[in-house]
Amino acid sequence: MAKYLLKRVFYLLLTLFIVITVTFFLMKLLPGTPLQNQQKLSPAQQHLILKQYGLTKPIWQQYLIYVGGVFQGNFGTSFQFSDQPVSYLISSRIGPSLLLGLQAMILGVVPGILVGALGAIKKNTWVDTTTTIISILGISIPSFVLAVLLQYFLGLKLHLFPIADWGGFAYTVLPTLALAASPFADTARFTRTEMVDVLNSDYIELARAKGLSKWGVIYHHALRNSLIPVVTIIGPLAVNIMTGSMVIENIFSIPGIGEQFVKSILTNDYPTIMAVTIVYSVMLMVVLLITDIVYGIIDPRIRISGRSN
Amino acid sequence: MKFKKTIAFGTISGASLLLLASCGHQNRPRLDSDQTLHWVETADLPTMDPSKSTDVVSGGALNNVDEGLLRIGQGSKLRPGVAKSYEVSKDGKTWTFNLRHSKWSNGTPVTAADFVYGWRRTVTPKTAAQYAYLYSHVANFEAVNKGKKSPSSLGVKAHGKHQLIVTLSKPQGYFKYLVASQAFLPQNQQVVKKYGAKYATAADKAVYNGPFKLTDWNGTNDTWTLKKNNRYWDAKATKLKAVKYQVIKDPGTWLSLYQSGKVDELMTDGLQYRHLKNSPDMHVRESASMFYLEFNQRNGFFKNNVDARKAISLAINRQSFTHNILADGSHKPKGFVPAGLAKKGHTDFADAAYVKSGTAYNLTEARALWKKALQQSGQSSITLNLLADDTPNGKKTIEFIQSQLDKLPGLKLTTTAVPFNVRLTRSNDGDFDMVVGGWIADFPDAISFSSLFTSNNAYNRGRWQNKAYDTAIKNAEGKDANNPDSRWNDLVSAEKTLMEQQGVAPIYQRSQPQMLKPYVHGLQYFPTGAQWDFSRAYISSHQ
Repeated sequence: MAKYLLKRVFYLLLTLFIVITVTFFLMKLLPGTPLQNQQKLSPAQQHLILKQYGLTKPIWQQYLIYVGGVFQGNFGTSFQFSDQPVSYLISSRIGPSLLLGLQAMILGVVPGILVGALGAIKKNTWVDTTTTIISILGISIPSFVLAVLLQYFLGLKLHLFPIADWGGFAYTVLPTLALAASPFADTARFTRTEMVDVLNSDYIELARAKGLSKWGVIYHHALRNSLIPVVTIIGPLAVNIMTGSMVIENIFSIPGIGEQFVKSILTNDYPTIMAVTIVYSVMLMVVLLITDIVYGIIDPRIRISGRSN
Repeated sequence: MKFKKTIAFGTISGASLLLLASCGHQNRPRLDSDQTLHWVETADLPTMDPSKSTDVVSGGALNNVDEGLLRIGQGSKLRPGVAKSYEVSKDGKTWTFNLRHSKWSNGTPVTAADFVYGWRRTVTPKTAAQYAYLYSHVANFEAVNKGKKSPSSLGVKAHGKHQLIVTLSKPQGYFKYLVASQAFLPQNQQVVKKYGAKYATAADKAVYNGPFKLTDWNGTNDTWTLKKNNRYWDAKATKLKAVKYQVIKDPGTWLSLYQSGKVDELMTDGLQYRHLKNSPDMHVRESASMFYLEFNQRNGFFKNNVDARKAISLAINRQSFTHNILADGSHKPKGFVPAGLAKKGHTDFADAAYVKSGTAYNLTEARALWKKALQQSGQSSITLNLLADDTPNGKKTIEFIQSQLDKLPGLKLTTTAVPFNVRLTRSNDGDFDMVVGGWIADFPDAISFSSLFTSNNAYNRGRWQNKAYDTAIKNAEGKDANNPDSRWNDLVSAEKTLMEQQGVAPIYQRSQPQMLKPYVHGLQYFPTGAQWDFSRAYISSHQ
């Protein structure tokens, strides 16, 4: 297992290096400059200022300087927030994004699995129909529409929760609900389909024949086996929530990281583009690694050490 | 004989105070016990460094927490700031500012040396200040900014603690507006040195000398507060205890917060404006920004073809565009220089220089001129491309212009909408037939627009060239710079030439429709730079 982990971490770093390199050169193809009032500066004035930032050097030199900095933990300073180190910009804004993402995952996935399982157990009854309708709604209503509806009714009309802003648990409720809808629906749908399959399989028949209780069969044999495909989608779902919360962050005025990423691309804020890309890549790769490890825990057949033998 | 122009600010403000007092108490609304204004920005506060501020968010904050030599207020009127009075030498090149005794928020005195330090810091190449060009008329600016001379040779000197003497390389009547802008604020050398690279990256890493001081800003958060600065020299006139800022990026969220009374103002977008324009809360804030069509005259079809340029301009119904398509409070321009930017007495520059044909709509004439234009170019039909930003307004503009120009026989118009950066690059490279550009004035003088279209100006992307125009601008900046009347006439004649020759076709002047709660009073708005001054604002009782 340790050997496997080491190998995976090595590949992770290699992938990261490739991501940094490709992003750096692609980013330099963007037209324009990071100057905020570039439309008011003549080319000569722009050159003078860009020279101060070392942006008139050849791109390969800039690349080497950047990579050298990253190895020393220096991600540069932002252009949008002048003189603000990018590492500080990200660390001070990633908290709300992570918190919302985590809450939304828990609120989405746990009830999603339960509802999906319930639908499968009570297949073709009113319970199944109701849960299916709910999960289809969850998939078809875009999160930003749900966000606006929640904001209007629960915030503006009923005064149950704050309309927007950030500053305590109450402020996280509406954005979490809006974000949780899609992972909830996805996991519910997947769990139901898998569970229906599993419940029809021979070994469930056998377990029942052995005289196990109904819920014992469901918990020990059916649910556990249905979770493997569900775990597969949870990884990408988690990353989707972290990176895709930009619209939700905008609607609820949350001081998160999603919006900074888009804005940094639009304003050619090179150090921020790079740093956020690195953060997102690491998040995705770590989630995928965790998913692989969790597979082994759920299903002994795909335990990693066994495979390497 | 030395001519001295002294503005006796003390007398004026004294008189206006008396006038206010005599108005009686009956008309003055009762003050609310909570003097907090809840303000909104749509972008984060990027810096509080006066040398590095380029955007309206930091500009607005700096204008209220710091104070330069003069202050700009309602209707772009100047009032005294740190300078009690100032004198301009007869040749217009030496400006002497007499400073009052005032303090920074840490208790140290604000002196002439703070101005000298702040100004030198802004023009030093190492600072890489993007607004350093505003210093263009200060003696030795070019050499200092290019690193050829030391910052100490910049034309600004402290004479004792309370007199600042500025030497200009040539007269600049509007220098008085520049010294009221962020790039000319004083900076406290000890504080800048103390925090080094961290200077002004958080509320507690700077000092303030204005009506308010900044608190609750860690450098990247979405909320911050301006608190009344009790050490400010005119603190007794500041009624607000605090201005609480919040960043809101979604227009719908902003509207909900305004309706629920959580925030006191709302800048409406086009859709909201259509629903709210008859509300008593609505105020349309004229902005000194213009969107216009530039014709590529470097070579090709539009070069020396005034009929073509006029035909296109005459075929665009701007009234219909601003009222029916944009419908956001923007309006039909009178010329290239925005209305409300500059005044002489009671005459607005845009009225004085109005050329009807420059922005009029007349399809019959447009078609006749277009026919002539095609003959001149020796073609029976032509395909042209129109370039614009891919913003909502940019797309509306190109779609509308395309529908209008469809009525010119023999013209096939294709359109391209690109991101802002791409539009700028292509404009600079001359890679367009027609492009929709935009400009906003830095200071309330016509020259901040008029200087754009001289033959060699880098922003004259279409390279429209006209000798009479160049001469008029040269005179305004040169031999007539110190004679306000002749200078005004120069600028008016230049603007008329630009419009008569249709060097550019103005499309719309933008406005900012604002909903403001009826209990907010005394806000000062001006159409350039920082835009807002809260120092005289107050909240009336609204329970």
